[in-house]
Amino acid sequence: MKLLSILVAETIKSHQHNFHNKLIYFSLLIWPALLFVTSYYSFKPFNLSDSSPLSAYMDVDQITMFLLTGYLGYIFFWSLVQSAWGMSYERQAGTLELIFLTPVSRIVVMFSRAAGNLLEAVWLFTGFTLFVLVVTGNAGDIHWWNVPLGLGLLSVSAIVWGGFLNIVFLFSRDAGILFTIFEEPMQFFSGVRIPVLAFPLWGKMIALIFPLTYVLEIFRDLVLNGKGLVELAEQFIVLFGVLAFLAIVSAFLLKKAETHAKETGNMVLF
Amino acid sequence: MIEAKNLGKVYTVKKKINFFRSEKEKVNAVKGLNLTIGEGEIVGLLGLNGAGKTTTIKMLSTLLNPSAGKITIDGLDAVKDAIKVKSMVNMIAGGERMLYWRLTGAQNLRYFGKLYGLSGGVLEDQIQNLLEEVGLTEASNTPVELYSKGMKQRLHIARGLINNPKYLFLDEPTLGLDAPVAKQLREMVKSLAKNQGKGILLTSHYLKEVEELCDRVYIIEKGSLILHDTPENITASVVKNYHVKIESSALSTSQQNRIKQSLTGCSIEFSEQGDSSEMQIIAPFDPTALIISVCIKESVAIQKLELKRPRLEDAILTLAKEKLA
Repeated sequence: MKLLSILVAETIKSHQHNFHNKLIYFSLLIWPALLFVTSYYSFKPFNLSDSSPLSAYMDVDQITMFLLTGYLGYIFFWSLVQSAWGMSYERQAGTLELIFLTPVSRIVVMFSRAAGNLLEAVWLFTGFTLFVLVVTGNAGDIHWWNVPLGLGLLSVSAIVWGGFLNIVFLFSRDAGILFTIFEEPMQFFSGVRIPVLAFPLWGKMIALIFPLTYVLEIFRDLVLNGKGLVELAEQFIVLFGVLAFLAIVSAFLLKKAETHAKETGNMVLF
Repeated sequence: MIEAKNLGKVYTVKKKINFFRSEKEKVNAVKGLNLTIGEGEIVGLLGLNGAGKTTTIKMLSTLLNPSAGKITIDGLDAVKDAIKVKSMVNMIAGGERMLYWRLTGAQNLRYFGKLYGLSGGVLEDQIQNLLEEVGLTEASNTPVELYSKGMKQRLHIARGLINNPKYLFLDEPTLGLDAPVAKQLREMVKSLAKNQGKGILLTSHYLKEVEELCDRVYIIEKGSLILHDTPENITASVVKNYHVKIESSALSTSQQNRIKQSLTGCSIEFSEQGDSSEMQIIAPFDPTALIISVCIKESVAIQKLELKRPRLEDAILTLAKEKLA
């Protein structure tokens, strides 16, 4: 009940903060839609027939679906990088210190913040994805019965990722470095535009750093290839291992961050 | 009762020597401070900038861990039982930060109320009561960014009371406020202590405010306690001199000499202003009764008499001068 109450409080707070003018729709829809469209047309001049080198790693006929699912997953994860960036505002405004003045469970706040922000950030692009599926006539290629599971998996993974980032931001006064790391490299190496299998070994190694890589692989297998839970059991185990690792590291870092702040008083520094 | 015993806080500060090297330096922000705050009591914490007031408040409110000493709040250890203590205390700082500006006043209170575990009707009643108490009922649905400074400060007070804390720490709560708003806040603070039995710790640079509100005052300097008493006793023990200014009918030289002789131990200066005289007396006691009786005896007509009683501000200024000397 308390968890739900904090989740609602964080969602309302995030809504009031982020939806103060209509420009927000630019980042919610226009920007990811443009990303998708530019990627799509970047592929167009190249050989996308069965003789294409890409066809060794994916069904080239499914390029639209591949990119759509890739960007959908990316928006889930990237929106929470942006949300974690908002922690800098909380620090500057002094509200972060007030949150830590209360007896609320800090881990609940950090993950509720991620969950509340996720809902706000992805609904529009999810709608856009459905719209593109219908307009391009690709709706029939989707394994719809797997979609709820896929979206649920994407959401849970993104929330764990977002909670982790929120906690990392408790240590950091400047978010710029995370923006640099997670914007273009996460988009490229997680297999949003190109299958990870197509990367050289060093690229595959980098891909393993991003949780989005594991989620996207399962998400595409569920909704594009119609694979079932049994077939994906191994991938699920790996993903849950990654998420469990992130959650444990989050809990450890959170404790460390609060202890550090109590020693140094750095929660008011910005 | 809040009890801080032998409280100390050491910060480690990094000092940059050059681009590649930095040096760690220990700064003693608070040293061996003993302090108590009872229920229904308003206690002042005074000191010049950098004296350690805010650090002390943050340790009492569990935002900082002490490097030495112990804080107990109604028997609970502020470090080991921090989560329980957090439900019993709250902190209000002056200024315009620490609020969500795009949220309305009511939404701010609702958010923080939920973090304190309040919900449903209890939370809504608490929000309505607090908004009414601080006079923000009509502005409850207005975004905070449209509030005046005074309204934001009143919302701070309401936010600080959302969990109905037993102890409240006020860090410069009237900073930058207009006189009428500051007066209103002072009355509210007085009522919180006297009518609701809350223990309050107040830091303020407005010493008249401290004098008006506080039952006891702690004065700290560079983190160490230098004085602790009631404002009256501190003033009496630090400021020894009373200042009296008298405007009277013109005084002859012989009258001036006789007055000087009658007021032994006092310093007196005379000045002539047309057909009237002015006496400036500085005495280590209240010389009013004595000077009036001397004037009557000398048939001097008193036109105006001003007595400047020593104030807490004079005491702090005297202490500051002593420290600088």
